[in-house]
Amino acid sequence: MNAMPREELAHWLDRLAGGKTLIAPRDVDGVLLYRPVTSSAEVVWDFTRPVMSIKDAFIPATERLLMIEKTGQQIRLIETLAEGEQVIFGVRPCDARGMKVLDALFLDTEPVDPYYARRRENTTLIGLACRELGPTCFCTTLGIALDDPRDVDVMLTEVEGGYAVQIVTAKGDALLKEARGWGLDVEPQIPDRSDLSTQQPVISDLRSLDWPPYFNDEYWDRLAERCLSCRICAYVCPACRCFDVRDEAMPSNNGHNQYERIRCWDSCAGVNYRRIAGGHNPRPTKGQRLRNRFFCKFYYYPQQYGPVACTGCGRCIDACPENIDITEVLAHVGQAGGSSHNR
Amino acid sequence: MVHANRHNPMLPYLGRLVEVKDLATEIKLFRVELLNGGREAFANYRPGQFAFVSAFGVGEAPFGIASTPHRTPMLEFAVNRLGAVTTGLHELGAGDVVGVRRPMGNAFPMEAFKGKNLIVLGGGIGGAPLRPVIQTVLDHRADYGHFTILWAARRPSLLVFTDEYDEWRAAPDTDVHLTVDEPDATWDHNVGLITELLEKVAPSPESAITITCGPPVMIHFVGKVLQPLGFTPEKNYVTLEARMHCGIGKCGRCNLGDKLICVDGPVFSMAQVGALLESFL
Repeated sequence: MNAMPREELAHWLDRLAGGKTLIAPRDVDGVLLYRPVTSSAEVVWDFTRPVMSIKDAFIPATERLLMIEKTGQQIRLIETLAEGEQVIFGVRPCDARGMKVLDALFLDTEPVDPYYARRRENTTLIGLACRELGPTCFCTTLGIALDDPRDVDVMLTEVEGGYAVQIVTAKGDALLKEARGWGLDVEPQIPDRSDLSTQQPVISDLRSLDWPPYFNDEYWDRLAERCLSCRICAYVCPACRCFDVRDEAMPSNNGHNQYERIRCWDSCAGVNYRRIAGGHNPRPTKGQRLRNRFFCKFYYYPQQYGPVACTGCGRCIDACPENIDITEVLAHVGQAGGSSHNR
Repeated sequence: MVHANRHNPMLPYLGRLVEVKDLATEIKLFRVELLNGGREAFANYRPGQFAFVSAFGVGEAPFGIASTPHRTPMLEFAVNRLGAVTTGLHELGAGDVVGVRRPMGNAFPMEAFKGKNLIVLGGGIGGAPLRPVIQTVLDHRADYGHFTILWAARRPSLLVFTDEYDEWRAAPDTDVHLTVDEPDATWDHNVGLITELLEKVAPSPESAITITCGPPVMIHFVGKVLQPLGFTPEKNYVTLEARMHCGIGKCGRCNLGDKLICVDGPVFSMAQVGALLESFL
């Protein structure tokens, strides 16, 4: 065994934080979030998963797309792409999969989104395998293992005496080479994970679910009676990506009027999501909007871009003030097909 | 993953307004001269495509392009003042700079329409994306069969492109029918909904294609009238509108079931629309 002791890992993170933006699980007024840290002392080591996913390191909740400078009739546009490298430590396999889901839309489908692409390019993911499933986790339904290394650059797994370090990508390899250059003792190792907890999937074959017959199901209206259209399910989701774009005025600068064009997270649960100027709204009821959320995740998105737009992280179950449970929805749609469901 | 050479699809081209003129009550025509690289991007846009227009400092919104590149190097947009962006645009005048992003979406299959009798149905501001269709047919008149234009608005003051009707009427083998719901004292054309006008004109479905653009409820009821006239949904083309924030298939806004109006549309046949899980209404 050649595990990396926690102190050595902490030292590595300190070195990383010195040169790049290091994002790690951090306690922010009692809420666990992925946030920039300046030293390993701020890192929370033992956790199930932070309240929000790593999504906002790539599509921030509010992001500037352009600066607009107006002088008389003249307009100057300044493109604002993110600069600087970031490393995210403590990425759970579900969140890493979320990035692959978003890659399918922002990178693999033309035109490439340059804002997302830049951040993705400049970010290295250090994964941290889960010891066990949280109460609302159902990642195995999505085919993700607790120590799934596929979607990160370097995978860490807690083992006797510290962490086993797995190199997954060239980016991960470069990160480790850099660490060795700093004199850190890092040797790649395939961990033994025979002690991993396992979980029966909620649905045995998610891809076989037949969604269209459920489109006109009264189930959606029934479910929506509880929905507040608060949209928190989309904001905590590692795979939701809908956004709004608008211009906001900024303080003027030497007689130039300045504005920023921003995009911010949005959700199809909101009543105005599809409403157009003039008032027409093709999706006026909560049932229709909730239905769209689940059809998008499991039927539309896979058809449009490939992956299922859910990673089984269970955050939406935790966050919903009305206990709307995505696994119950899957079980409902799965029942006709006779798929097994264990919740 | 290096994309440095690509044009940022969210970065607008700049365009100078060379003319802003009243088309109808609260509807203005904006003529835009493209400035920084936009001319190249918009060299070959097609009837039915749309673009995002920015009123800088307010925001941007999608508008059907009302011009054709073979008639003018300018881009033309007919804008009905309804929300924040359209109000922002209405406050601009000649010399002001707007932003324009990409020609977006698919287009009317004008090649496939060749040799067909065409019936165009435009309702209110919905006439804007049909103007390029009309101009293309008039400019290549021999390529198409009989041409019927059904043009409607709630009131005479809301009819768009009124100063072009004489040109349309003067074209060979072309009929123009106008109707309004609420006539004024000087109105001497049809009165009633466009569906009633359609029933009255009753075009033959033989080798014919209809192209409909207007409010969703109009598209729906035109489809209902076309069926008994013998037009199958495959022969009825429509252009749909939706709230959008990117126009390039990213923001998720404009989905109709598993289709996105911005990239899979805005032009659909009613057969395609009917096959979708979700209603556009």
